[in-house]
Amino acid sequence: MRKTFVALTAMALVGSAAMFVAGPRLAGAQGGGTVEVDVKYNGAPVVEKLKVNKDTEKCGTETAIEKVVVGSNKGLANAVVSAPNTKGAKPVKGMVDQHGCKFVPHVSVMTPGELELKNSDDILHNIHTYSTANPAINKAQPKFKKVMTEKFEKPEIIKLTCDVHSWMQGWVAVVPGIAAVTDGNGVAKLENVPAGKQKIEVWHETLGKQDKDVDVKAGQTTKVTFEMKGK
Amino acid sequence: MAGIRIAAALLLLAGAAPAWAQDANAGKAVYERKCLLCHGEKGDGKGPSAELLLPKPRDFTRGLYKIRSTVNKTPTDQDLFRIITEGMPGTSMPAWAVLPEKDRHNLVAYIKSFAPEVFKEAPKKLELPKEVSSSEASIKRGKEMFDAIECHKCHGTEGRGDGPSRPELKDEWGHPVAPANLTKRWTFRGGRARTEIATRLANGVLGTPMPAFLEAVEKPEDIWHLTNYIVSLGPDSPQPATLVAVSAVRDAIPDDPGADFWKKITPSNILLEGQVIVDPRNFNPAIDLVSVRAAHNDKEIAFHLTWDDPAESKGDGKATFPDAIALQFAPQQPPGTERPYFLMGDATDGVYLLRWEQGKGVTEVSAHGPTKLAPIPGGEAAGKAVFKNGQYALVMKRPLAAAGAERPTFRPGVFTPVAFQAWDGGAGETGPKMSLTSWYYLRLEEPQSNRKFVIPPVVALLTFAVLGMIVRAARSRAIQ
Repeated sequence: MRKTFVALTAMALVGSAAMFVAGPRLAGAQGGGTVEVDVKYNGAPVVEKLKVNKDTEKCGTETAIEKVVVGSNKGLANAVVSAPNTKGAKPVKGMVDQHGCKFVPHVSVMTPGELELKNSDDILHNIHTYSTANPAINKAQPKFKKVMTEKFEKPEIIKLTCDVHSWMQGWVAVVPGIAAVTDGNGVAKLENVPAGKQKIEVWHETLGKQDKDVDVKAGQTTKVTFEMKGK
Repeated sequence: MAGIRIAAALLLLAGAAPAWAQDANAGKAVYERKCLLCHGEKGDGKGPSAELLLPKPRDFTRGLYKIRSTVNKTPTDQDLFRIITEGMPGTSMPAWAVLPEKDRHNLVAYIKSFAPEVFKEAPKKLELPKEVSSSEASIKRGKEMFDAIECHKCHGTEGRGDGPSRPELKDEWGHPVAPANLTKRWTFRGGRARTEIATRLANGVLGTPMPAFLEAVEKPEDIWHLTNYIVSLGPDSPQPATLVAVSAVRDAIPDDPGADFWKKITPSNILLEGQVIVDPRNFNPAIDLVSVRAAHNDKEIAFHLTWDDPAESKGDGKATFPDAIALQFAPQQPPGTERPYFLMGDATDGVYLLRWEQGKGVTEVSAHGPTKLAPIPGGEAAGKAVFKNGQYALVMKRPLAAAGAERPTFRPGVFTPVAFQAWDGGAGETGPKMSLTSWYYLRLEEPQSNRKFVIPPVVALLTFAVLGMIVRAARSRAIQ
């Protein structure tokens, strides 16, 4: 009885000691800061509308290819913002749904690893990737195959298409560092970015790429603004 | 004993070494003589003749190959060797079996050198599920899967490559690409054998919209059920005819192309080629086969034609035109083997065309060359066309006897020259841009004589009568 008590106490002690040691390292983040990235675009939105002639029950009779989405204050949505050189970023599993004959979300980020592809449309789609660093895939996903998992291990921004519905287009950014996608107002927050000089990169499917070096301060929010140029 | 050992050693050597020895430099020399014209000096598929071809020649620099026996991007050397040797049906890629085997192996090495990155990854062989042989049950299951995985989206309900997604399909180079017509197995790019079909289903066709289905079917063996269903959709080869027989009938001939009457007549399959003699030439004809059934009675002659066309086209007059088809005859039965020029005649010898056009119906036309057409007025030609699931069925009729010198008269028992022309207006075919045949023959069967129903019974009756008389005579003699 006493032995058990001693053992338990010892375990508890070791446990809390371990937590104590591990704590500051996990919050290594404490030495990190937040980078709030504001992506602006002065041009007009680009939206192609087209009539749908098949699967209208699921896809609707009209659809829009949103190439450039501009929100309030000229904020550019659907841009990938990243600190590509940060190490040890929290793993983020990729997740894309094929819903209403669109890839949802239109742009997403993941760390190298698994991408979960859902088909919630109850019709045939095919996942056709235009990847080069990663294996290019073109796999059918019939209505009864609700979830499919694919592996993308190498950093790359991958275009997703569906040949059955030629207007469907999506993007998955495989980024080993910390990354996020801008919201409807063109804002994305990168959390726990290690303090010091960091390269911040912005990518947009039609407006291209830009980067800036940002001085990240621990425990503070650093704001940075990008102005994307039309092509 | 020693002899056997030496023989075995020789066999081993023969098997191991020379067959696969490849020399990319030697391959380059062959490439420049035989492949460059289409595939280009840099292997980018942009050779001088590439613009005339559809599908476009392969761009080797991307290292993307349609026909692989592997699950990854990298084809095996044998995959490449086979395509070089056997060619690609339904495309401009011929079979190069005429080249020495060694040259073909060297070509494989040279072609790989255009995309060295791709070939750094070792090919990973596809493991097909255990084969299921064809049976009624398997074909039924295949059809179920065909519907469940929605093959019809591209390939059409009856598999004629006429699905709703067809007009949008593009390959990874952005070129339009047509889904396979599953009823014409002989045009399958990777071959018509069952294993080939199962492999395409499992693996997809890289660089095209055709995805891999191995993980997308309910059970792995469904790949074979689908294969068996696809094989059930059409014949193994087009079985081309050399003569069109026109059946003799006594009753009226139905106008409806769907009538049972037509199903009882064996079709003659006629192969068509692109018209490449006069401008505008048609290097990539859309219609390659017309099935012909024909019948006549004592008053009229009727032609029943079926041909595949992925979409019914009335034409916008700019990029698309009305679909059409024509039967060509000499206006007068020519003496001996003489016939007008097969390409719609010439200035001296014209031809008669029995023609159907979308939106216009059946007309009779006199032609003196592919651009000199004049309608023949006052005819009695008529017809009816039906378009369904990527196929036209048409009946054209006219009186046997001619009215006027521009029309031929059809006579039983005579070999009558006939030629065929077809236009897929939806694919931009109109005027001289057509597919066509040279002269064939058709022959009207002689009407069946009534005598065969009269003479045999009469002979039988007479025989019995004579026998009866002999028996009677014999009996009366015996009594005496």
